[in-house]
Amino acid sequence: MAIARGLRDQFDWPLFVTVAAIAVIGVTNLYSATSAAGPAFTDMYIQQIYWLTLGSAVAVLVVAIDYRFLERHAWTAYGVGIVLLLLVFLLARNIRGSQRWIPIGSFSLQPSELMKIFIIIALAKYLHNDPKTEGRTLKDLVVPFAILALPMALILKQPDLGTATMLAFIFGTIMVLTQLKLRSLLLLVGAFVVSAPLTWTYLLKDYQRERFESFWYQLRGDSQQNLLDSGWHAHQSMVAIGSGGFWGKGFLRGTQNQHHFLPDSHSDFPFAVWAEEHGFAGVLLLLGLYLFLTVWGLKIASQAKDRFGAVLAVGVSAMFFWQTVINIGMVMGMLPVVGVTLPLFSYGGSSVLTTMTGVGFLMNISMRRFHF
Amino acid sequence: MNLISQRREVGEFRKRYKWMALVAVLFFGVLVVRAFQMEVLEYRRWSGVAVENITKTIVLPATRGVIRDDHGRVVAANRPAYNVFITPQLIDMDRDVQRIATLMGLTAAQRDEFRHRLETVPDRRRTHQIEMFSDVTRDQLAALETHQTELPGVDVVAVPVRTYPFGSLAAHAIGYLNEINADDLARLPGQGYRAGDTIGRSGLEKAWEGYLRGRRGYRRVLVDVRGRSHGNSPGTETRVEPVPGRDIKLTLDMELMRTIERAFRSQPAGAAVVVDVHTGSVRALYSKPSYDLNEMSGRLTEERAAEIRDNQFRPLIDKTIYETYYPASTFKVFGALAALGDSILTPANHLDCPGYYEFGGRRFLCSELRGHGDTDMRRALVQSCNVYFYDLARQVGLDRLSRYARDFGLGEPTGIGINTESRGEIPDYAWYARRYGNQFRGGFTLNEGIGQGNAKVTVMQLAMAYAAIANGGTLYYPQLVEQVASPDGQQAEDFAPRVRRRVNVPRENLTYVIDGLYGVVNDPLGTAYDARILDGVPMAGKTGTAQVARHVAREDEDPRNTDYLSRSNAWFAGFAPAGDPEVVIVVIVEHGGGGGRTAAPIALQILQEYLGGGMPAHAAPHAVAQPVRTSRRPGAGAH
Repeated sequence: MAIARGLRDQFDWPLFVTVAAIAVIGVTNLYSATSAAGPAFTDMYIQQIYWLTLGSAVAVLVVAIDYRFLERHAWTAYGVGIVLLLLVFLLARNIRGSQRWIPIGSFSLQPSELMKIFIIIALAKYLHNDPKTEGRTLKDLVVPFAILALPMALILKQPDLGTATMLAFIFGTIMVLTQLKLRSLLLLVGAFVVSAPLTWTYLLKDYQRERFESFWYQLRGDSQQNLLDSGWHAHQSMVAIGSGGFWGKGFLRGTQNQHHFLPDSHSDFPFAVWAEEHGFAGVLLLLGLYLFLTVWGLKIASQAKDRFGAVLAVGVSAMFFWQTVINIGMVMGMLPVVGVTLPLFSYGGSSVLTTMTGVGFLMNISMRRFHF
Repeated sequence: MNLISQRREVGEFRKRYKWMALVAVLFFGVLVVRAFQMEVLEYRRWSGVAVENITKTIVLPATRGVIRDDHGRVVAANRPAYNVFITPQLIDMDRDVQRIATLMGLTAAQRDEFRHRLETVPDRRRTHQIEMFSDVTRDQLAALETHQTELPGVDVVAVPVRTYPFGSLAAHAIGYLNEINADDLARLPGQGYRAGDTIGRSGLEKAWEGYLRGRRGYRRVLVDVRGRSHGNSPGTETRVEPVPGRDIKLTLDMELMRTIERAFRSQPAGAAVVVDVHTGSVRALYSKPSYDLNEMSGRLTEERAAEIRDNQFRPLIDKTIYETYYPASTFKVFGALAALGDSILTPANHLDCPGYYEFGGRRFLCSELRGHGDTDMRRALVQSCNVYFYDLARQVGLDRLSRYARDFGLGEPTGIGINTESRGEIPDYAWYARRYGNQFRGGFTLNEGIGQGNAKVTVMQLAMAYAAIANGGTLYYPQLVEQVASPDGQQAEDFAPRVRRRVNVPRENLTYVIDGLYGVVNDPLGTAYDARILDGVPMAGKTGTAQVARHVAREDEDPRNTDYLSRSNAWFAGFAPAGDPEVVIVVIVEHGGGGGRTAAPIALQILQEYLGGGMPAHAAPHAVAQPVRTSRRPGAGAH
């Protein structure tokens, strides 16, 4: 399907430039983050470029297809996501105590990442078909909850607390968009308060509880020696950031990174590498880009010509926003360490594909906002 | 669905975007504030941690200076001790622990303790080298090194420890080291001491610490998270070489010390000092019993420390400069010099000694209860007649007596410069006035005349005073250190003898007194005549028998011990060769009984071996002192 003439004039340059800037910075930073690591890591940035290329192709494809086509096949997409999640349990290898990846040739696919997009599509579809002007009650939330609960349960089972949390946050944001009755909202809050201790006791695994506990110690300022491993990682990440100063230590000069004090610097902590080497100035630049992306996504949502597009755009923006805030908050020691990647900064094929698909949606909706 | 309704439905969301954007801005604002806090406000703190993370300072210890005696014999040096470091991460808890235990010959209990210590190493330190055994034996070292390749987690590191080849000989003077404690660190700020350092605790090791210790160097290297060297291209490494401590050459003669040790072998407690009369150089500084410096510098167990502390012969007391004793008859020479110096008596003055001296309605006994008969000053010195010196003291007076004694350095520290030195006491009227108010009695003066009043001196003080008599009146500071030099011999600093003062005493008076002291050893009536060495080096000196404070036997005390503790302290102070004195010797044998009987043979034997190169072939065995078997009845005895 060709892009209709005139659409080209609608090309969303700010979106493109922002995403491109983050991607370029991300790859450069990945180069630095992995430069000191062993040979197994040194070509990671090359692989990331391959993934970005593939992701761009997917994005172009997504842009080319009118998103309203997707609306018609939303449930199919959701179904595919669920099937992939189920496949994980059949095919996945156990890596560091959890099963998250489906091996495809020499690559691994992480269905839980893709599920973020699928759940956004499913919710958009549901809300598109079920407009409410009066405000929603709890009964109206049963179906959306079910849409969330099925994949979330599967993901928690892997276990992958970080991605499950992301799904919940995306869902929550989309639901905030709709009008909820006050009574319903209060009930929801009450339910959360009641369920939190139960979740703590029965759902979380020991190592997950340890992370929260060590985060608590960290907040209370307990000495480094008392910290558990995850707390030590967070501490070293804070050392990296704080020691960056205003202008940073310079590209490839971050000592915390180069001397291996930063754990998982390519996956969970690339922001620390960036902050160490480029300082507060670099942080301002990067945060500016992410904030712009989020707000721009909301702007696209506000200009969408239909509910499906609006919800889709809000969902994608929420995905970018929460991943950014949770990852950076965690890296700066404000949140417990959970495995949430930083879009276009963290290494990972599935993450890049998901992000680029999301970008494709935003572009799609943005370009078609005046087309009726 | 038509256009109008769609627009309306989108309108359900519309007003919320702004709020969402605002929330997004707020969240990012928090992140910015946090980044500002860490990277700008707390930059110094985090930067410090980051630098600390990657810098490892490897201390390059300075070698402590070597101490040698006058003949270059090593008295204190350093030897390598081998400490075993273990990296827990690289150890197989089942196989390797048992293997190391077997190689090192550990007992089952030691092995279990070792295992426990390994297991309790915190996770984060498991990649570090941790000291597990210190100063392992040669056999253990050999066993570990043979199997080094099979035990990658085991490293043996050599560290210097202090070693004292002469063990307990001259221990008080040489001193020992041990680990610095928190109090020292607080007391010595800015001097570069760190926990784990050793510091001189006593003797020369303490007094000359500043010369001996040198200055540590260090190597600063960049390391990664595992503590492994990382990115040390040439030029990035900072290295400051250690400065070794200075070597010290003493005036002591350890061979002479051995001679003294042999001469004292029958006596449990006492002291001896040998000083060069022309320089004040201390040739020997002997205090018995002593302690092994190697033991004191090592890890002394609590039991062993208590054993040393509670020994009734008091090994911890330095009896040459800290303990003070009544000088007894060794003091008489100063009375003689006072009387001659102020022309109160002349060599011609004589009196008849009936065995006692009547004064103030009391009888003061002589050492010889049958009396010495007609006695002049020389004979009084030779036979140690108390009666003559009671009379002399009465005529000379307490203040004059004490002034002369003090002129010779008695009753004040000698300035030897190590350990704690006692000043002793040479009382005068003012002293008695402070002590007894207006209760002064003439008898006090009489007792001071025979050194049994309240005068107390150290062995070292007496040696320096007798050296001044022997050399014609020059009072020296005792000198222990002859030279300080860098280990390569460059930058040597020699220390010249230091004169404390010239004692104002006419040469002929000294000659007269020296002649009396010659008589003590060489006249048939002399108190040390029995101890003389036939055909030996000519010697002169004065005996002394100092009564001790009355010993009250403890319950369940061995009667032999009670007997021992009741006995007098035996003195001999003298010099040789008599005609042209080179060295002075002062010997005290605690509870040795009579000075002539116990101390003189020891002193004369030492002098003979030192100056004469050994005892003459025909020397009588009695020259070697035997413990006194019978105790004299306590009385005014000073002979």
